[in-house]
Amino acid sequence: MRLLLVEDELDIQRFLKHALLEAGYQIDAAGDARTAMKFAADTAYDILIVDLGLPDQDGIDLILSLRQVGVKAPVLILSARRSVDERVKGLEQGGDDYLTKPFALAELLARLRNLLKRDSRPEHSNTRLRVLDLELDLIQREVTRSGKPLRLTSQEFALLEFLCRNAGRVVTRSMILERVWGMRIEPKTNVVDVHMSRLRAKVDGGGRKPLIGTMRGMGYVLRNA
Amino acid sequence: MFSEMPRRVAWSAAWRISLWGTLAFSIGTLLVFVFLHRFVADDMQHRNDAWLWGAVSLLGDFAERTPKDALYGQVVGEIAELVREEVPNKKRSLSNADDHVFFLQEGEDRSLKLWVGAGAGEDTLKAIHGSRILPDQPIDLRVDGMGVPFRVVSIRVEDGSRIYLGLSEEDQLRILNNFRFYFVLLWLIIVLFGFALVFSISRSLLKHVQTITDAASRIGRSDLTTRVPTTSRTDEVAHLALTLNNMLDRIENSMHQLHTITDSLAHDIRSPITAVRGRLEASLSARSPEEQTDSIASSIEVLDRLSQFLTDSLDVAEANADALRLARSEVDLEEALASMIDLYQPSMAEKDITLDFHHAGPVTISADVGLIHRMISNLFDNEVTHLPTGCRVMVDLRPEDSARLILQDDGPGFAPEIIQHLFERNTKGRDSSGHGLGLAFVDAVVRAHGGTVIASNPPSGGARIAINLPLSSGVSGYSRGPEVVDQVELSKD
Repeated sequence: MRLLLVEDELDIQRFLKHALLEAGYQIDAAGDARTAMKFAADTAYDILIVDLGLPDQDGIDLILSLRQVGVKAPVLILSARRSVDERVKGLEQGGDDYLTKPFALAELLARLRNLLKRDSRPEHSNTRLRVLDLELDLIQREVTRSGKPLRLTSQEFALLEFLCRNAGRVVTRSMILERVWGMRIEPKTNVVDVHMSRLRAKVDGGGRKPLIGTMRGMGYVLRNA
Repeated sequence: MFSEMPRRVAWSAAWRISLWGTLAFSIGTLLVFVFLHRFVADDMQHRNDAWLWGAVSLLGDFAERTPKDALYGQVVGEIAELVREEVPNKKRSLSNADDHVFFLQEGEDRSLKLWVGAGAGEDTLKAIHGSRILPDQPIDLRVDGMGVPFRVVSIRVEDGSRIYLGLSEEDQLRILNNFRFYFVLLWLIIVLFGFALVFSISRSLLKHVQTITDAASRIGRSDLTTRVPTTSRTDEVAHLALTLNNMLDRIENSMHQLHTITDSLAHDIRSPITAVRGRLEASLSARSPEEQTDSIASSIEVLDRLSQFLTDSLDVAEANADALRLARSEVDLEEALASMIDLYQPSMAEKDITLDFHHAGPVTISADVGLIHRMISNLFDNEVTHLPTGCRVMVDLRPEDSARLILQDDGPGFAPEIIQHLFERNTKGRDSSGHGLGLAFVDAVVRAHGGTVIASNPPSGGARIAINLPLSSGVSGYSRGPEVVDQVELSKD
């Protein structure tokens, strides 16, 4: 996967490059819009990360000019602006995504994966999800662990489905809130943790081998090995 | 210094105001005087003419009736003398009656027939012959050797002779001269006095403006506690001073708020940075990998809270400056509340808090869905954080003229010392560990959407927050169905 990173803050550029390389991406990094346009003219990228606050041009204008010269790859917009303005909303509806700084690396990687998936095969064709001895029937909305049925509420089912789809990867609390509840909020109380402990009690209770792990400072992970 | 003073006075607004004001006044009064003068002069002339006509026709009558014998001259002369006694506008003490009036009868051969008056009469006749006399029309006659002209009328007597009666214009001119003299004198006094008065009044007024200006210029440089001087007067300048002081009060207040905000911002940011720094340092010297991970993980948690605080803080600041950008769309408040209740339900159950949701169908508002979600989440966070175990929260949503959302609990209510300032940032209860931003954020979001929020401690106990948000204009009516009360089943399982 070839990725173009357009970010002028060298510190952020460096750590993102490092993290993305580790996640298996091939990275080109540009510090301004001009360099980015040059890179995009030479290479076909699968995905782009564009920071909005570039020194020579507004990030959104850069994306629009990239689109004009025929770059069709999805864009993940990074923004330090707290309120996301209409123009970003417009781009988001066009298939791109945005993330406000500061962000968790896990979330950035999840969004990149999501964008790439959206790009290649938008349908989840599976009707069943399976992680180790945990099995979800997406049509019947039924869960079994080691063949024994678990009684989950619809919220818990949605939460577990999200964890299963991201099995083996860290999911942050804000990712859970956005994907499962459809909200971009930052609660000041431990609402997600309470949900998670209820789910955990049902999935991992009864002396079973724990599947749902807590990554302190990051989020949760559903073990797949 | 000395050369500068007159210059400054000459350029001052007071000088210009009084100069132009006085000029306008003096020109105006002069014009009035000119008309008045003309009116008085004409009136005197008319009265003199009327007297002359009356007198000359009387004399003509006598002259006709008196037999033309040796006594004719004496009789007519005496009557003429009598007439002269009745002269109008006369100041006897000043002038001789002889100089004032003359009676002259001219024979058919244009020779002097009878003369009553000062001097010989020949000069007068000569002057009469020298000027054009119109019948029935008084003329002004100048006689050689006499400084003042005479007003002369004439009448023809039946025997062919002509009678002339002349009245000196001396008295009339003297009166008019006096009139002019006193007017100019008074006019000068009034104009000078008026100028001085206007100058001193406007100078004192403008001096007040100058002191305000001086005070205002000092304020910018030093501090904001100085105020411009005020007076007990109620004029525009006093009003200006009051307005300026009010403005200064507001600026000082804002500056004070700004200082408080920056102070608390510094505190709110420095504390977590210190904590993160300390924990990271601890992780460097950690003895076990677990200890190290623990330090780093808790640093991240602190940073997340800091970032969240910054977001809310900036949103509140933007909203207070009416600069919060809204990405509006149609939002169903009922749905938003329902999913938020789904999210918070387990947390509330942990604390044995019961939540009743009264609602009666979708309530659509045009709003920024992200901000509305964050607002509701803030309200619920408050309930979860501050309510003691076993309490009950009632959420009531109904569309009336506006979307009306009421959140009421049976907890201890808002602390009395903060209830007046609930929606100001940094207001928090004594036992609260938050930043005191939650309700300020709620207020900011509601106001940005054109709504109102009222917090109170109702008499029945607990705390109550009532929010009104304008309904989306696209929603025409709302069918009032049977009200649903969700008694959210909360059990610790």
